[in-house]
Amino acid sequence: MTEKNNKQNSNVYSLYPRKLKTQISIIFLIVILFYFYSLSETGSDFLTLFLDFPDIVKKLASMFPPNWEYIPLAIDPLVETIQIAVVATTFSVLICIPASLLAANTITTNKFIYQITRTFLNILRTIPDILLATIFVSLFGIGIIPGILALTIFSLGLLAKLLSETIETIDARQLDAIRSTGGNIVQVIWYGVVPQVLPQFISYGLYVFELNVRASLVLGFVGAGGIGTIIDTQLNFLKYQNVMAILIVLLVAVIIIETISNMLRRRVV
Amino acid sequence: MITFNNLSLVYPNGTPGLKNVNLTINEGEFVVIVGLSGAGKSTFIRSINRMVTPTEGELWVEDENVLELSGKSLRTLRTKVGMIFQNYNLVNRSSVFKNTISGRLGHTGTFRSIFNLYPKEDKIKAYENLKRVNIENYIYQRADQLSGGQQQRVSIARVLTQDPKVILADEPVASLDPPTSHQVMQYLRRINKEDNITTIVNLHFIDMAMEYADRIIGMRDGEVVFDGPASDVSEKTFEQIYNRPIREDDLRGSESDDGEE
Repeated sequence: MTEKNNKQNSNVYSLYPRKLKTQISIIFLIVILFYFYSLSETGSDFLTLFLDFPDIVKKLASMFPPNWEYIPLAIDPLVETIQIAVVATTFSVLICIPASLLAANTITTNKFIYQITRTFLNILRTIPDILLATIFVSLFGIGIIPGILALTIFSLGLLAKLLSETIETIDARQLDAIRSTGGNIVQVIWYGVVPQVLPQFISYGLYVFELNVRASLVLGFVGAGGIGTIIDTQLNFLKYQNVMAILIVLLVAVIIIETISNMLRRRVV
Repeated sequence: MITFNNLSLVYPNGTPGLKNVNLTINEGEFVVIVGLSGAGKSTFIRSINRMVTPTEGELWVEDENVLELSGKSLRTLRTKVGMIFQNYNLVNRSSVFKNTISGRLGHTGTFRSIFNLYPKEDKIKAYENLKRVNIENYIYQRADQLSGGQQQRVSIARVLTQDPKVILADEPVASLDPPTSHQVMQYLRRINKEDNITTIVNLHFIDMAMEYADRIIGMRDGEVVFDGPASDVSEKTFEQIYNRPIREDDLRGSESDDGEE
């Protein structure tokens, strides 16, 4: 008996079927080949990276010690960055509510409206924020307005996508109950949908706020205001020690913001 | 009075839900609909408050044909026809009181309901109804913190707060254990007698149907195959309705069985 079992067991030497193993090996090989092909085609190779290593170290070293005197000058642009993020997040949070209701099939039963809204939101998300900022800078000139507009539109696409998908996964039976009491659509949303999605909604809002703080930094490079603008200037003047000081300010600010928002998020979920 | 007149329903995917139903339910009756799952019990009940839309025939609730209603008039119908669900369908994250007062939504303006500006008598009514089902100690608890039986009692209070003329209960005890099931049925029965509210309950437990119903309607494959007073019903009748011998799981069992409460 035991001998027979052993014999059977000896056939089972692999967790996966032999065919699957071959397939995976082939795919893996193709990926590696493609990787080397891309390396040679784009002319990037690790050898130069290693050869240039001393240069990199030299550049990094030139950032130290950070110019601490520059920090007070970085505070105002930092505040501006946070203001851009706050305003953009507020706008997008407000606009995303109707948008995501229209893009959720649990609420919008009309297929036509549903598809139109979805497509529109998909297009919004396809446009990179830096492109939006460039366009708005050319339309409204340098300043915080183009930054706010770009981030509002960008985070609207993101928020509406997240929220509408959450609304699609709620328990529709709870909505049935509200409907069966004779509630109209607004009451169904307020009494049935809102309690079910509110924690996630707050969490998404905070997440998008964090994203916006970091994004508004990059947008500064194209003239959309905030701390990115001064990083750009100092880089161009080769004032690497100033850049380092700005980066440290930024790091502290981002850590503080993330800690607060994590605390808030844990409270609500 | 509720009258079904040649009522049929075919779902969009082609499945027939109801086939040519003709019957009248009188005011104050306690009717239990029995049948196997898929027999059309839910479709029958949900047609009455138009949660599903019949495709043919007429369905009169008092003096309105519910097939012709839409928008405002449909919502007015729903304020008169309360519904209790198998899974209680309370809004989990809202308090017991908020769930109960939501029974007033059909009577309350949108603006008032958003800012919780309910008239005082509505709040008193909701509280009294919670007291009626002995759950008033939990009013500020979140609905999902209650046990199944407690949640179903809250949903009864919600329906009562609607001031309904008719209560529909779609498998109200299917998710509960035997003692709690009997408790819920007793509440429904008492409310039916005290307030003279027409009550229509879907059940698939034959012993409970016989114990609580005035009248039993049997359904199979979307058709009404039995309709008569509960006193006329025996196990034989159920074997005809179900078209198979009675089994152990067709019975809920008595109140004394072990259970949560």
